[in-house]
Amino acid sequence: MVFVYKLTLRQLSGRWRLLITLLLSALPVTMGVIWRLIEGDARPDHEFEDFALNGMLAASIIPLVSLAIASAAFSNEIEDRTLANLTLSPIPRWKIVVPKLLGALTVGGFFMVISAFVTSYIAYSGDMTTSLAVAAGAAVEVALYSSVFILVGLMTTKAIGFGLLYVFLWEGLFAGFVSGVRFLSIRHYSVTIVNGLDDRVFTEGEHLSFAVALVASAAVFVIFLALSIHRLRRMDVP
Amino acid sequence: MSSSNSRAARSNSNVAPVIQVERVSRWFGNVVSVSDVSFEIRPGITGLLGPNGAGKTTLLRMITGLAEVSVGSISVFDQQVRNNPDIYSRIGVMSEHETVYQFMKGRDFVKMMGQLRGVSNIDAAADKAINLVDLAEASLRPMGTYSRGMRQRMRLAATIVHEPDILILDEPLNGADPRQRVQFQKLLLQLADEDKTIVLSSHILEEVEQLADTVLLIVNGKLAASGDFHAIRAALDERPYHVRVLCDSPRDLASALVKLESVDAVYIDPDGAIVVLSRNVRDLQIELPRLAQATSARVRRVEPLDDSLESVFGYLVER
Repeated sequence: MVFVYKLTLRQLSGRWRLLITLLLSALPVTMGVIWRLIEGDARPDHEFEDFALNGMLAASIIPLVSLAIASAAFSNEIEDRTLANLTLSPIPRWKIVVPKLLGALTVGGFFMVISAFVTSYIAYSGDMTTSLAVAAGAAVEVALYSSVFILVGLMTTKAIGFGLLYVFLWEGLFAGFVSGVRFLSIRHYSVTIVNGLDDRVFTEGEHLSFAVALVASAAVFVIFLALSIHRLRRMDVP
Repeated sequence: MSSSNSRAARSNSNVAPVIQVERVSRWFGNVVSVSDVSFEIRPGITGLLGPNGAGKTTLLRMITGLAEVSVGSISVFDQQVRNNPDIYSRIGVMSEHETVYQFMKGRDFVKMMGQLRGVSNIDAAADKAINLVDLAEASLRPMGTYSRGMRQRMRLAATIVHEPDILILDEPLNGADPRQRVQFQKLLLQLADEDKTIVLSSHILEEVEQLADTVLLIVNGKLAASGDFHAIRAALDERPYHVRVLCDSPRDLASALVKLESVDAVYIDPDGAIVVLSRNVRDLQIELPRLAQATSARVRRVEPLDDSLESVFGYLVER
């Protein structure tokens, strides 16, 4: 497994991919710095949370970065036909999918969790409880999106297109306006987990229960991981 | 042992088949890529011959488990290959595509492939495989800097690093220069002498002739012929050839040509050229200048009309 993990890290650590991820991670941090410069020691209100943490980080940057990195974990190998190097090895398919997912989580999660932590640490004047809660929510969100987009990358060479449709239509539009959809929204699981860990954050709006968010997150992660393993077993490898 | 003697020794139909393909078909939508193909492969070198697009790669992908069969069954060492990863410790596959990681050094690639296949003494195994393909000097360079031939050889090293019993090579000589071809062929013959089962696909007749004991001829997704290479070669030699002769007095020369024993038929095409149908082109080559001189015909051009590989394969399918 460690060879596949190392290989994935190297494949996903292209200069441009890392640079764009770094720039995107810096955006919410910049918002935190601006808040601190303008508002001094005042605790951020729900407008900052809605804009910087929910709208920018949870609804846009984390899904986009996860999409770019996780979908590439397999789709790049399918495109350049190197996936056969792995599937023609005497290792079970889960030992290919799991390290691929871990590789995507390491690259994407590293930037996103640090961005979430630093943003909230700056904005909330060094409040460790809030910073860790926001970072944990980001980690859960990266994990869930990555497990979804790994599968999308295995199913189609147009993973980015399908992923964008999902992020903006489902997570952005429907989950924002149709209340029932939030039961099937990764972003809402993440926001609920942050609120569950620190009830001073995301106080506005309706949330799922903390337990439901945890169970649903675990279910999404496991189900999409299992579907990816199944897909790799069944598909024709180019 | 000379290569022809080795071939004779290897061509033993009493040995149990290693690969069995039974009534296999594969279609993509409405397109049938492989149609009702059955054969068995034994140790030694088997050539999978056919024109481009004949279905060779699809067949090899099904044998290696990379692609699902639509109908039929394939077994290797009496086991199914699809969804049976353990079997890959005994199989080495080199696809026709350049499946290398450009950023990776050649030696690291061979080592990684060996480690994925469970090789224990990986450094020694990698060195042995790299030395076999004669690429030790370049092995510490990223593969993105290699020529196509070098990448092919390093891929072969990665394919044999775990010393598999079966080697499946899809168009392995593509991109190799003449010297590399000879080296490649020597290596494959050496591996075949070690009782390995090697399946080699190619669309070049001569390439397969030099290496294979047995040939499977695939045309339009079907098995057109199979067996000993010499029987197939003899069948090819028996086929009638069309030869076009351009000269200034076609009627006189055609009258003389039709009397030759080596000529089956003669006609003059709408452009005024003579088209000769012959099963013995060598005799025709000898007789043609003599007859041209005797009939005072000035020959401007002599060309074969159907020497393409497709026409050769087409002939075998029609028989």
